[in-house]
Amino acid sequence: MPRWLVAVGVLATAALLLALPHVLSFSQREVLVFMTINILVVCSYRLLTLTGEWSLGHVVMMGVGAYASALLAKKVGVFVPLAMLLGAFTAAMVALVLSVPLFRMKGFYFLIGSFAAGEIIRLLWKRFRDPFGGPKGIKRIDPMPDFDLGIWNFTFFDPVSYYYFALLVVLAGLFVMWRVEKSPIGLVFHAVHWQDNLARSAGISVRAYRTLALVLSSGFAGLAGALLAHYIGTVNPNMFDIEQMVYVLTWAIVGGTATFYGPIIGCVVLTVVNEIVLREIGLEQGRPMIYGMLLIGTVLFLPKGLEDLFHRLSRIGLLFSRQPRGGQ
Amino acid sequence: MISFPRLTKRQFVQSMIAGIAAGTAAGLPRTALAAGETIRIGFLAPLTGDVAAWGLPGLQGCEIWAEWINEAGGIVINGVGHNIEFVGYDNEYDPSKARAGASKLVIDDGVKFVMMLGGDTWPAVQPVADQTGMLFSTLLPSDLGPDTPTLIAPAEVHPIYNVTGVEWLAENYPELKTAVICAQDDALGLPSVATYLAAFEGAGIEMLEDPLLFDPSTTDFAPVATRMLSSDPDIICLDTCYSAYVHPLMEQLFQQGYEGQIISCTLDFYDQITAKTSVEFMEGVVFQFPDFDDPALEADNVNFRDPGKFFDEFNERYPGQWGAVSWEYAAIMDLWKWAAEKANSVEPADVLAAMTETGQGEHIFGTADWWGEDLFGINNSLVGNWPVVVVENGTARIKEFRSIPDWYARHGDLLKQYMTDYGLMWNQR
Repeated sequence: MPRWLVAVGVLATAALLLALPHVLSFSQREVLVFMTINILVVCSYRLLTLTGEWSLGHVVMMGVGAYASALLAKKVGVFVPLAMLLGAFTAAMVALVLSVPLFRMKGFYFLIGSFAAGEIIRLLWKRFRDPFGGPKGIKRIDPMPDFDLGIWNFTFFDPVSYYYFALLVVLAGLFVMWRVEKSPIGLVFHAVHWQDNLARSAGISVRAYRTLALVLSSGFAGLAGALLAHYIGTVNPNMFDIEQMVYVLTWAIVGGTATFYGPIIGCVVLTVVNEIVLREIGLEQGRPMIYGMLLIGTVLFLPKGLEDLFHRLSRIGLLFSRQPRGGQ
Repeated sequence: MISFPRLTKRQFVQSMIAGIAAGTAAGLPRTALAAGETIRIGFLAPLTGDVAAWGLPGLQGCEIWAEWINEAGGIVINGVGHNIEFVGYDNEYDPSKARAGASKLVIDDGVKFVMMLGGDTWPAVQPVADQTGMLFSTLLPSDLGPDTPTLIAPAEVHPIYNVTGVEWLAENYPELKTAVICAQDDALGLPSVATYLAAFEGAGIEMLEDPLLFDPSTTDFAPVATRMLSSDPDIICLDTCYSAYVHPLMEQLFQQGYEGQIISCTLDFYDQITAKTSVEFMEGVVFQFPDFDDPALEADNVNFRDPGKFFDEFNERYPGQWGAVSWEYAAIMDLWKWAAEKANSVEPADVLAAMTETGQGEHIFGTADWWGEDLFGINNSLVGNWPVVVVENGTARIKEFRSIPDWYARHGDLLKQYMTDYGLMWNQR
């Protein structure tokens, strides 16, 4: 693709992302904020799946970042943006510790092990009311401090301001993850997934790379959790339970995980359908059923996810001319 | 991009709301109602998922209420009748969705009042209430606090009314001397545990074990029932368990041969429990939420229009759905309508002022006091009498209305102590 076309595409996307909240209603802007944060969660999840491991504890890592950031800001008085970064770091470090027992397992056993590890963390939040607040969690979490840039007064109760802030953070996170995947490290992740014995024979420490993927993905999930906590002002253990994990899995499966943009498509499409379209057309209480039917329909007719639809369209020249790299 | 002048947060948001109103004609808060304009009321509660039993039947009850009110000419403001329309939003008991829902109802839909279940979802909604000044109601007064004067608990003072059931039991069955309690370990279960512990201590009933707190994800209740039965209590208390827990717990107690007294905050869909156990097993179970065909609700002190007809209408439209909250949100609407007509305004601040100006209000179970500063830091809960309901021959019947303030006058210190022990006082949040 010509460079000028890429530049035009990037500028058009940037303009669209900046203008988007201004064509939405107030509540749709709220949904946009949550969707932006969730894109970071699902993309960080995909980073882990590159090594072939699927976890059921990813949203708990998001919760670790949320709790750590909330506690640092509320109890220690750490400046909120710094608390968010420290929350992400905490999630990464917790993942590093968990990797010791978890990577003694692989495949299905890793999946179950990650669920158990996540449940242990959630039980700790419930058990220790001090400092985690027990089942009620932590309330009145410090919001992002408002500030004025001259051209824009960032008042973070306003979803537009928080969307711009979250967008900046999420884009930075996505860029890092994209660079990691396109680097030699990303190639090793794929090798660990598809040819782990061959990778070992080439002197690659499979376990070290799996650990690296887990730590990185958990760090970004923790960052997403921190973004969420300081926006809604509360965290509790139920926000990071298996039901939320199923949402993340659904976004990843429906969107597809072969490409970088697959999970983003899944998250955007399902969020818009579930939170906006079905509510607007009066199917408020029928949403779980329709959501489930969409999932089943996608698995039956688009087993490689919605990204496969893009591939097919691109093949007939309607969309992008370049095939994605690194597919399953 | 737009450069905003330096404003306070509230001014900023209100100016933004006005801007959206101008741009979308979405019917946002105005100072005067147009003639015949429909008044929209928000309903922000779980309509799907595990906690839907405490949201959806409430919306269904409100829709019946609205039909009746609209047929009778609507709510009269400045001599003009206005129809009522409910706008529901399913928050799935998720704080993020509750915040988005509150924004939609208040800012996009222009509702004049928002009713919530509360609990885990309230903290995320609180900034919306604070910034917009919208009047919100909750069924859980543990959400109340002095920071948000526009949040009220006008129907259900959960879990404080549970003291009436324990007190009634102690007076009528003095031979019951020991008790055990179980509850899900969450924002609904724990305040109720603290209340029951205070009530049992106030009634001179000994707790044989520490409260058995189980995880909300529990699905196997056999060990919970076995553990409670192991200490051979006179009373088993099921706290404020969700119906998804009460049903299997009752089944387990039946299957494991328990023949003692049971007390529970709710007993939703008790006919289904009876079908799984027996009429004999269910005989004498004490709880707090009446069926509305109860003759006791025909008394003059009950402020609810034709409760028997409401019960029949509800069961005809939604068979098998009657539960603890079926009437509660409608009862809140009765109070709101009374206050709005008194104020000749539907603006949140005017309605709140009219509701609370005398320090008393017309609660569904009689005139009650705006109360709660001791426990919640603000007198925004309407507290008076509450019914004690007992299952007799397979039917729930009110045995007595008992005064919550009278109990509190005698044992309030106990309640404060237990609430403090569990970190539930408003200043411990």
